[in-house]
Amino acid sequence: MNISLSGRIGLLFAACTAVVSLLAGVLFNRASEAHFLELDQQLLGSRLQALRTVLGGVNDRASLAAHLPALQSELAHESDLGLRILGPDGQLWFDDRPTLLGSPAPPGLTRLQGISGDFRVLRTPLAGGQGPQLELLLDITHHQHFLQRMQRLIWLTVGLSALATALLGAWAARRALAPLRRMGEVAASVSATSLTTRLPDHALPAELAEVAHTFNAMLGRLDDAFQRLTAFSADIAHELRTPLTNLLTHTQVTLARPRPLEDYREALHGNLEELQRLAQLVNDMLLLAKAEHGLLMPGHEALDLAQEVDALLEYYRLLADESGITLAQHGHANVYADRGMLRRALSNVLENALRFTPAGGQVTVNLQQTAEEVRAEVHNTGPGIAPARLARLFDRFYREAPARPDEHGAQHAGLGLAITRSIVRAHGGGIHAESGQGWVRLVIRLPAHS
Amino acid sequence: MKLLLVEDQAKTGHYLRQGLSEAGYAVDWADHGLNGQHLALAGDYALVILDVMLPGRDGWQILQALRSAGHDTPVLFLTARDSVADRVHGLELGADDYLVKPFAFAELLARVRTLLRRSASPSLATTLELAGLRLDMLRRRAEREGQRIDLTAREFALLELLLRRQGEVLPKSLIASQVWDMNFDSDTNVIEVAIRRLRAKVDDPHPAKLIHTVRGMGYVLEARPV
Repeated sequence: MNISLSGRIGLLFAACTAVVSLLAGVLFNRASEAHFLELDQQLLGSRLQALRTVLGGVNDRASLAAHLPALQSELAHESDLGLRILGPDGQLWFDDRPTLLGSPAPPGLTRLQGISGDFRVLRTPLAGGQGPQLELLLDITHHQHFLQRMQRLIWLTVGLSALATALLGAWAARRALAPLRRMGEVAASVSATSLTTRLPDHALPAELAEVAHTFNAMLGRLDDAFQRLTAFSADIAHELRTPLTNLLTHTQVTLARPRPLEDYREALHGNLEELQRLAQLVNDMLLLAKAEHGLLMPGHEALDLAQEVDALLEYYRLLADESGITLAQHGHANVYADRGMLRRALSNVLENALRFTPAGGQVTVNLQQTAEEVRAEVHNTGPGIAPARLARLFDRFYREAPARPDEHGAQHAGLGLAITRSIVRAHGGGIHAESGQGWVRLVIRLPAHS
Repeated sequence: MKLLLVEDQAKTGHYLRQGLSEAGYAVDWADHGLNGQHLALAGDYALVILDVMLPGRDGWQILQALRSAGHDTPVLFLTARDSVADRVHGLELGADDYLVKPFAFAELLARVRTLLRRSASPSLATTLELAGLRLDMLRRRAEREGQRIDLTAREFALLELLLRRQGEVLPKSLIASQVWDMNFDSDTNVIEVAIRRLRAKVDDPHPAKLIHTVRGMGYVLEARPV
């Protein structure tokens, strides 16, 4: 069932009120009934006393006749009281109101339904023992009427109070939930152009403040992702525009007037280099876009990470030797990963480390294996990176100034570590950077099991 | 050797035909799927280069028709779509190689030569030679003009690759892949450094240079008139 929150709260309130008022009514009804019974008992007791005095000594029908006038006068001013006298054998000797009851009542105090109403009946021996029996009948119809009225009143109270609390409850709930509705309105107004909207969470009740906080945090993340996307598009535009402009200008200038053959060749070579960078850039961005959409699906083969790192270090040793950088490797680890992707991820990290290691420095790869994860740390000596810039290392198109001015990497696109992060994430792992005085360390964590 | 190129993009087709022709191949070019399939089935080609997206018949269908007619002509796919599923699909149908646009022409040429060599009988020569440079494959020895050259294992592998494919321009990516098993585009100058070191040992002591840089394309080993 889909009832609104205020509706639910109203109904709950109504049910609570109804139960409470019904309980109170039932208790009150019981108490009144008991009170009436007590009153009747007292009344019947006192009447019995008087009748016993009047009927003193009666033990057969004949003696009753003698007492009859006194009895009649006694009964005359007791309009709500009836009397029957029965012999020891149960035979009816006297009946004050013969139309009321047919059968004799059981001994003691009982309630009987007569033709004209309800009666409290007290049957008791006249003088104790087996003598004649007295049946005192007290008309309690008006009591019953009172109790019935009471019951109607109780039901009415229950109904009305339930209705009233339902309405009040719903109203109160609506009022209390107003901040929630406002949150809904804010959420509805959020669009790509207004991601900076936030809920004011200081004026909210404690329960909603948390929701608002969560909501704001979500908006924050969305905003962040959107900003990144916008920045990415802007970066793409910029990264493509620059080489395209170069190509256009270069080609047009070359063609503007006749030149020696060598100049044309030179121009084409220049264009070729620019175009190769562009092709590389497009391929890298496609890979990142694929990763972004979860389309990067790595294979899983058992790999000796030490062997892979060894192969990579052998490859990069050629470059490292040129700058007098020492490469070293420690530790062992086994992973399930895509060999090609893993090599690519590690090679980007190594290239990065080499780029930021000054001549004569050192790049070390440490491998560690625990039950849950495999850690590959690539540590390089060189100027530390400020914490604010550390996280940005993995942003697309982010470029730090290389450690050696002759470094060719000045022209790289700044996608390497972003690609590494995408690959590592596609493997279910993570990467982060740490830095201190004179060192930088990139830590890749991969799950130890596939 | 005759190649068939099926490519519906006029410019791409034109440039590829020109490039392949100048590399010494006779090239038939079809710009429609049906025409391409007809030529592939009727002609006697050493290699078929297929675009995937074609009018009339797509590349997959042409490949299927070719294989079910019993032709084992090597097929190289060119495509702008790069998904693992596509790649697997192509290789399952019997494609021999797969090149994603944008690619460098030098890369295409190198792959074409690899495929053509694969279909020819493999070279069993135990010594490779060019202009006084000798590589003894069994004894892992290299010498030039009778002088022994000391090479590391990788340098030997690199020189072997250059010698086996002498006269061909080898792109850096192909060298990285064949010698170091690095099958990704690495933008470092590792290969440049490796070539420079090899040159220092092979070429520097001699007036006639054998290892040449083809700017923007790669490296080639050949004897050029001084």
